[in-house]
This record gives sequence, structure tokens and C-alpha cells, in this order.
Amino acid sequence: MSAETILQVRGLSRRFGGLTAVNDVSFDLTRGEVLGLIGPNGAGKTTMFNLLVGIHRPSSGSIRLKGTETSGLKPNRIAKLGMTKTFQNVALFQESSVLDNVLTGALLHHPVAQARDAAHEMLRRVGLDHIAGKLAGDLSFPERARVEVARALCTRPDILLLDEVMAALNAVEMEEFLALVRDLRKDGLTIVVVEHHMQAIMTMCDRILVLNFGGLIAEGTPREVAHHPAVVEAYLGKAYTGDHGAH
Amino acid sequence: MSLSSSLGNAGTPSLRTLPCRPVLLIAAALGMAGLVPLGLDPQGYTLRVLTLTLLFAAMAQSWNIVGGLANQISLGHAGFFGIGAYTSTILLRDLGVSPWLGMIAGMGLAGLAAAILSVPTFRLKGHYFALVTLAFGEVMRVIANSWSSVTGGPVGISVPFAPNSLWMFQYNTVRPYYYVSLIALVLVSVVFWRIKTGALGYRLRAIKENPDAAEVIGIDTYRAKLMAGLVSAVLTAALGTVYAQFSYFFDPDTIFGVASISVRMALIAIVGGVSLTFGPIVGAFFIIPLEEISNAALAGRAAGLSAFVYGALLIAIILVKPQGLLALFGDLYKRLRKESSR
Repeated sequence: MSAETILQVRGLSRRFGGLTAVNDVSFDLTRGEVLGLIGPNGAGKTTMFNLLVGIHRPSSGSIRLKGTETSGLKPNRIAKLGMTKTFQNVALFQESSVLDNVLTGALLHHPVAQARDAAHEMLRRVGLDHIAGKLAGDLSFPERARVEVARALCTRPDILLLDEVMAALNAVEMEEFLALVRDLRKDGLTIVVVEHHMQAIMTMCDRILVLNFGGLIAEGTPREVAHHPAVVEAYLGKAYTGDHGAH
Repeated sequence: MSLSSSLGNAGTPSLRTLPCRPVLLIAAALGMAGLVPLGLDPQGYTLRVLTLTLLFAAMAQSWNIVGGLANQISLGHAGFFGIGAYTSTILLRDLGVSPWLGMIAGMGLAGLAAAILSVPTFRLKGHYFALVTLAFGEVMRVIANSWSSVTGGPVGISVPFAPNSLWMFQYNTVRPYYYVSLIALVLVSVVFWRIKTGALGYRLRAIKENPDAAEVIGIDTYRAKLMAGLVSAVLTAALGTVYAQFSYFFDPDTIFGVASISVRMALIAIVGGVSLTFGPIVGAFFIIPLEEISNAALAGRAAGLSAFVYGALLIAIILVKPQGLLALFGDLYKRLRKESSR
């Protein structure tokens, strides 16, 4: 039996005036897969995420989530269908507590009292229950990133898009985060990761897409992509061998 | 543990009760508020000012739903207030309909107006939202001034006289209006508190802080803002009927006044403490008596002096504590506790 295709992207493009941020990109995503999206700054990775969750409307192309066409839908409708994202610059509700941030995500499926319980449970799971009462604006960057992941998970997504959540994590935090990704994957969550930390990308992803100037220049397993001449030229500089850390 | 189990087995809602002390304080304050008119002249000036204070506190509280929780600074709430006042008064004058039924009709019309207004204002925020709502209030004022056959035009409209009657919401003393205003304030405050602590309150706070982040976690920002706007408009219209019955007469420039109604509603909430449940109450008990005192003490001395002093005091408060009087009292209380513990 073939694996279930949960997301189908065909000919997706987005133009801002004369600039083509995403250019005719097509790919499929299989349920339970961890897909990496890499490329140099300005390659169109964040725009691609914004297109997938409905923050931007595509100029052309189609996005089908679990068989439903989502291009043109508002982000809240796409979240209800099961796809959400975290933000590159971490978009927490700064004047609210950590608990209230996560609780707000859980309101998609629960009334307030149950959402509070679900939020506590999620915070325990990501190891943040001890700071539940802290104001989000008072957190360090790694803490804020984890709270945002917890908030996104509380919407019970089928697909979670993570935009550079590992930036500024130390080695221990990185290992904890990778363990969380493995754990989420066991639950059947499909994850797409934009990340510059090559070691993390190579470790956690089943497959990687490489974007450059908005176009897809390579696609394959981490090993295939690491030695792909176009990727080496546009992004890596030299073939990735796994013996160096952050890009 | 699976993701679905970690999220799906959320516990049953626990019965959350308010802490005992605030409940007792609120009950004591309400008890006192209930007894105050008994010691005052039922036709007197003081009771009239207190009634207006309660009414404006309720109006500012209903504004607080949109201005405080959703951070949509409306300067057009006089539009909804006037719709409520005119609807019930016209129905009473022309058809003899009880003002209570007229109030419901006014609430319906104000809700419709808010729904229509939400279409052009949905994507607007800050100054732009304020300007469009300001224009809405002004349009309502122009319509009321121009449509003389129905509204009475610039001459104004009077509530037809009726003997003392609860059904016709008319009394020859101020005291019943005081109690109606007090009940209205309690009801509007309860609605505000329920919204603030409920799902809509969380959603509005999320939208206020980051609309994109709110959307991607499943919050329908348009629907949440529309709900807040509808509730706020409907409550404001109901208070318009109370004002009409209390004042017996009004004209378009008074009821749709930018400074006298729209800005005053916002100002009371902001000075007291915007988005706080008790902010508009504290703000009203500061601003309305301050207006009255400065008018009584200074109006006869020099033209504009009372307005100048009143304005200067408000500016001073906003400069000293932009978060409002409640935050200022909180700071003073903390300082006193610190000093007494030394």
C-alpha cells in the first residue's frame, strides 16, 4: 500500500511586483514525513510557508491539503483543516502568559477550561510547564520558540511548518528539540522544516527540497542533496559531509 | 504518550470561582450603591449626576469591548447610542410602543449597522479605523438632522409624557433611573467580564497582539472582531434608550456628538484603565463629577476656563499614568504596603 499523500503542491508561484519570490514549485508530502526546505537567504522558503498556510495568496498554482484545495483560503480555515506554522521571528502574544499563549492555540478544538488543561499538558510535554505563568515577552529566544511550537501543536495539526525554530538553540536544547520531533513523528505528525542548521536538517529529515531564487533546484534524501552539484554551488559551498555544525 | 492523547483527553472543566475577597468587595460596593439614593433628594442634582455617571460608566464599558479587548479605537459609538435613543423614542411617539420593546428594536438596528460597518473597517486598524468610525457617527448625525419628518431634525425630539410606569419606562423622579442605570452598568460589566475571560477574550487579545499569528492558529479574526463589535454596538444602543427616557429630550447634535458621546466613552475607559473590567467605572466616577465640579466652580469666571482645567487634568493623568487610574491606584497601594512593612 502506498503512503498517503497529505499535501500536493503544483506549479506554485508568487510574485511581488516584478519580483518572483516563489517560481513554479511542485512537490508532494507524505503523511508522517519530515521534509526539509533549505536554500540561501531570500530563496523563498518563508514565502513558501506563507503560501501554504494562507498568509499570502498564490499568483498561480494549486495547494491541496488532504484532497481539499486551499489556495485562496484564509489561514484560520487552513489551520482548521490541519496545517499551521511557526514564525521565523517568533510571533508570541507578548503581553500574555506562556499558558495563555498555548491555551489560545487549544481553543481551536476546546472550550476555555479544557483548553487550559490541554495547554498544561502540552507545556509539560515540551518541558515548559515550570514557566507557564511567565509573561511571553520576558522569555529568552529559545524559550519563546518552544512556546510557539507548543502553541502550534495545541491546534492538533496534521502538518506543522517550523520556520527556523532551532536558531539560537545550544547543543543540549537542540538534542531535546530533535527528540521532540522524533516523538511527534511517532504520533503521525507531518513536519516541514526550514532551517539553516545543516546537521539538524540532515539528522531529522527524510527528504529535502532546495530552493534558490524562488525555484526548486534539487530534491532528494539528505545524502543525495548534500552532494547535488547545484546545491553545493548555490548553498553549501562544498559537499556536506556531516563533520561541521551550523551552516 | 501520543500527540492525540496528550491533546484529546483534556480534563473536564473545573468550577472556577472568583476569589472570596473581591466578591465581597463588589457585593459591598453594590450594596452601598443601592443605598446611596435613599439619603439623597430624589429630584436633586447630586442624584442626577450620579445617574449620569453610572450611565456613562456602562457606555464606556460597552466601548471597552471593542476599544479595550479588540484594541479597535472607535470614535463612532455615538452612532449606535443615537440609533437606540431615536428608535425607541420614535416608536413610542408614533406607535405608543413601550420603550423596553423599542430598546430591543434599537439594539437590532444597531447590530445591523455594526455588521454593515464591519465590512469596510475589517482590515483597518489604528487611526484609519478611528477615522472611519468617526465618519459613521457623523453620517448618523447628518441623517438625523436631515430626516426631519421622522427624527424631528435639528429641533430635536421629546419623549411623550406618560404617568409613572415601569412598562412605559417613565418616572417623575430621578431615583428609578438611577437604579436602572446601576443595573445596566452591572449587566454590561458582567457581559464584558464574561467576554474577557471567555474564548472570545483570548481570541481578541491574540488578534490585538499579532493578527497573523492569531489566524494561523485557527482564529477567524473577522468573526471575532465582528462579534465584539456587534455586542458593543447592541449594548450601546440599549443605553441610548435609557438615556432618552432619562433626559426626555435630545437632538442630533447631542445624541450623536463626537465630543459629548463618542470621545467621552473612549476617554472614560482610557482614563480609568482600558481593557480592565473596573477601568470604565473608575474613569466615569472621576470624569463625570470632575466635569460637573469644574463647570460649577469655574464656568462663571471666564469663558472656557472650566474646559481648560478639565482638559489639563486629563492630560496630566494620561501623561503620568497612560495605563489609567486603576494602574495608578495599584502603584500607590503597592508603595503604601511597602512603606508600612518597613
